[in-house]
Amino acid sequence: MTMQRKYYLLKRLNRLIIYALILLAVLLSVAPILYLFVTSLKEPELAFAIPPVWNFTPTLQNYREVVSSTRFDRYFFNSVVVAISTTAIALALGSLAAYGFSRFRFRGHFWLRMSALIPQMLPPITIVVPLYVIFSGFNWIDTRQALIVSYLTFTVPLSIWMMIGFFDDVPVELEEAAMIDGCSRLQAFLRISLPLALPGMAATAILCFLYCWNEFLYAVILTGREARTLPVTITAFMTNRSVFWGRIAASGSLVLIPVLIFALLAQRYLVRGLARGAIK
Amino acid sequence: MNLSKPFPSIHFRRVLRRLEPAFYIAPSFIVLGVVLLYPLGYSLWLSFHRWTMRTFRQGVPFVGFENYSTLFSSPDFLNSIRITFTFVFLAICFEFLLGMALALLLNHEIKGKGIFRSLILLPMMCTNVVIGLTWRLLLHYQYGLVNYYLGVLGFAPVEWLSSPKVAMASVVLVDVWNTTSFVALMLLAGLQSLPEEPFEAARIDGANSVQTFFYLTLPLLRPIILVALLWRFIDTFRIFDVIYLLTAGGPARVTETVSIYVYRYGFQAFNLGIASAASFIMLLIMLVIAGILARSIGREIGGQ
Repeated sequence: MTMQRKYYLLKRLNRLIIYALILLAVLLSVAPILYLFVTSLKEPELAFAIPPVWNFTPTLQNYREVVSSTRFDRYFFNSVVVAISTTAIALALGSLAAYGFSRFRFRGHFWLRMSALIPQMLPPITIVVPLYVIFSGFNWIDTRQALIVSYLTFTVPLSIWMMIGFFDDVPVELEEAAMIDGCSRLQAFLRISLPLALPGMAATAILCFLYCWNEFLYAVILTGREARTLPVTITAFMTNRSVFWGRIAASGSLVLIPVLIFALLAQRYLVRGLARGAIK
Repeated sequence: MNLSKPFPSIHFRRVLRRLEPAFYIAPSFIVLGVVLLYPLGYSLWLSFHRWTMRTFRQGVPFVGFENYSTLFSSPDFLNSIRITFTFVFLAICFEFLLGMALALLLNHEIKGKGIFRSLILLPMMCTNVVIGLTWRLLLHYQYGLVNYYLGVLGFAPVEWLSSPKVAMASVVLVDVWNTTSFVALMLLAGLQSLPEEPFEAARIDGANSVQTFFYLTLPLLRPIILVALLWRFIDTFRIFDVIYLLTAGGPARVTETVSIYVYRYGFQAFNLGIASAASFIMLLIMLVIAGILARSIGREIGGQ
């Protein structure tokens, strides 16, 4: 065998190993999620059978049981209403502030912008203890507005931070041209920059929505029977001696499906937001 | 002649122009002040008062540093701080080792990179509650798949979540599964933004790939490694959901992090004075360490 041939073979082997390792990483990442979906489609008796049965007729029985369980529709509705309201408020506030940071330079600009990062670092448990006492004072415990207000603590900073990057991408010249033509700054913002930053806004909205949809700690503390959201609801299916693995898996899948769809839709922006939001 | 008239108006306009940024920025910061600063201040106030479910209707007396001194003499609280640091350290070590490996792998020219990247990203986006739930099924002693396949390979079953010796490892395992992709993607972004010239120079000088990695790649990646480290520290330090669902702090408190401790004191024992004090100590520790990290990031980026 010539040297060259040997080198060539080695290189191919190397590539093979790289592919194998990446596939292994992908498999490990996806397998638990797949397991959850597959289990949710099994008949209740098969769900926790050992050795596991992979060859079965899928059924929606578990989903039917979960959806028809007490007040599941209400809790689903709670989750949706809370997540959408919070996202709308946070996006409105955050876009305004982000535009301000992106277009103006003023004293304390850097520090003020940095301070918008601090709320993301606070442990939620530190905020939720006083919020609990404050909301009890207004009789707001177990209401949706209590959750919406408390979710603003992390969605507003998130949307400011994401949107700054997207407004930076909109060329200032377009706005300047509009202002020479007689637009006020606010009109230029509303008519030029905002529409151009719309894809970024969509990505930010998706992220805010997901954060609210996934949130558990505030929800478990601030809500009871009325305003409970889905993550709290599905923990109720998980009791220590529970044998209803099918139901557990179905409830988990119901929460996860919208998350996965949104995450895949926005993942390009997500990666970018992560990298630049933290570095810039 | 009235010359004085335009002046106040110009002056007024100038003030208005200087206040223009405030029009955009102020609403957010006012809202954040109300929903964030006010509760934080209130929490500080609470931490110096006695607030329990039984007594708060009779008033909330000022007790000075009593809550804090109670905490520092409580073995459970000190234990929770130790547990938190153990968890942070173990999780971050594994996440960075695996994350770096994954980033280096994904940095090769490969087909279908985009698909691989989105699939690897999925665990990071999952609802934490669902992650906890899924892994609780997977790690179940009797019916869990992990023990089953270990058995197939000839290993004895492990009490993943109920043995005090293994529970910490299991919690770390789940966190590593959950967030290694975050570290990997950040490092990958860093790798892709590295300049090419130093690497060519190294190749010409005959450096092998191990040398290149340790003497070139790692030092050049330092800023982004520090940023990823900062985020991972913040996130692991305050972890709640996944541990709460997997072990709820047990068995025998081996996985009781500070967040879980505060939850137990605040919302099971309903002693909010103690809970506030504990969460404030946690906040201070975190701000100090995050501050040190943020400063070295600032120096790193400023020095370039």
